[in-house]
Amino acid sequence: MSARSAAERHPSSLGGGARRRARPLALATVVVAVGLLAALFAFGLGRNPDVVQPVLVGRAAPAFTLARVGGGAPVSLSSLRGQVVVVNFWASWCTDCRVEQPALASLWSSFRDRGVVLLGVSFQDPASSALEYLRSSGSSWPSLADPGSRTALAYGVTGVPETFVVAPDGRIAAKFIGPVSYGQVADTVTRLLPGGA
Amino acid sequence: MSSAAGAGRDGAVPPEDGRRAAPGGAALRRSGALLGLVAAALVASGALLAVGLRGPAAPTTLGQRVQAVASGLRCPVCEDLSVADSPSALAGQMRASIAADLRRGMGPAEVRRQFVQAYGPWILLTPPRRGLALVAWLAPLGLFLAGLLLAAAAVRRWLRGSTPRPASAGTSPAPLPAADRALLERALAAAEDE
Repeated sequence: MSARSAAERHPSSLGGGARRRARPLALATVVVAVGLLAALFAFGLGRNPDVVQPVLVGRAAPAFTLARVGGGAPVSLSSLRGQVVVVNFWASWCTDCRVEQPALASLWSSFRDRGVVLLGVSFQDPASSALEYLRSSGSSWPSLADPGSRTALAYGVTGVPETFVVAPDGRIAAKFIGPVSYGQVADTVTRLLPGGA
Repeated sequence: MSSAAGAGRDGAVPPEDGRRAAPGGAALRRSGALLGLVAAALVASGALLAVGLRGPAAPTTLGQRVQAVASGLRCPVCEDLSVADSPSALAGQMRASIAADLRRGMGPAEVRRQFVQAYGPWILLTPPRRGLALVAWLAPLGLFLAGLLLAAAAVRRWLRGSTPRPASAGTSPAPLPAADRALLERALAAAEDE
């Protein structure tokens, strides 16, 4: 009985030839699979997943009409067509916003007489905190309230500070993520002004 | 009776109905079971495919429609959380914005497109079905087909290995006439008893 079972379990050597023929095919499959994986890894490792391409640059800036923080006449982006507009999203709870405050103040004092408009847009901030921040920081440019973050969402804001430069034709010329330096924004603004490089 | 049953179990006396007669019988049973298994796997795959293609039931209430759109969008201020799942304030505002747009009569695709225009395709949790991202959609199908081919090849080899071979070609015996088999098994039983 046991001898017969053994004979049954020991089927044949017929598959040997087929197995030998299948070996190069299996090897080729493994080599191709490993090659594809290596190519995929090489492609993935060459990219920084944290870098998100600013998709809005070169496109029309999303329109908005927002009330000023603390009251006053609402400001509409469309009414500023023909001027360079710098839109800065900020919040009172954002430490980087305090870091860039002097650069923005310098920008405002240097370019406001050349027709450049600087607009702050408060991001996820209670009106009282925003107002208190504006008073303490001494910023003199208009800051706007953005209820429900509708404008921030239209501009694809992922955090603060973020700054957009809108060209006179209404297109977004540049987007800066994080605190800006005076030079960064001034260079862009100067290029967009009449007679700019 | 008891001794006959015992002999049957030991394989010393072949039953009259010939159930244990040919080694090919076991192979047939094995192929039958295998075919049943393959059929069951095919039916299960078909059912899964049908459910997968049909997708979840269409949302009806506004809340469900918001949930459906939000669950396909990435929360911009979180690590790998959908807008539907994120507890962040911005995700809440995105859900409110989606609800307002849907209430205004915009379609889910249009709402999604708005977010893609502002944030780029990165905002979508599912990759688009074009360009390089198409690989993410086709790779699983390719792997499934490759697995199916491998399984088919393995089954073929298994079935071929289990069929009885001619006596001249190998070590396993050709089916014996019942009388010869009885003789042989009696001899084997005697040898085992010694």
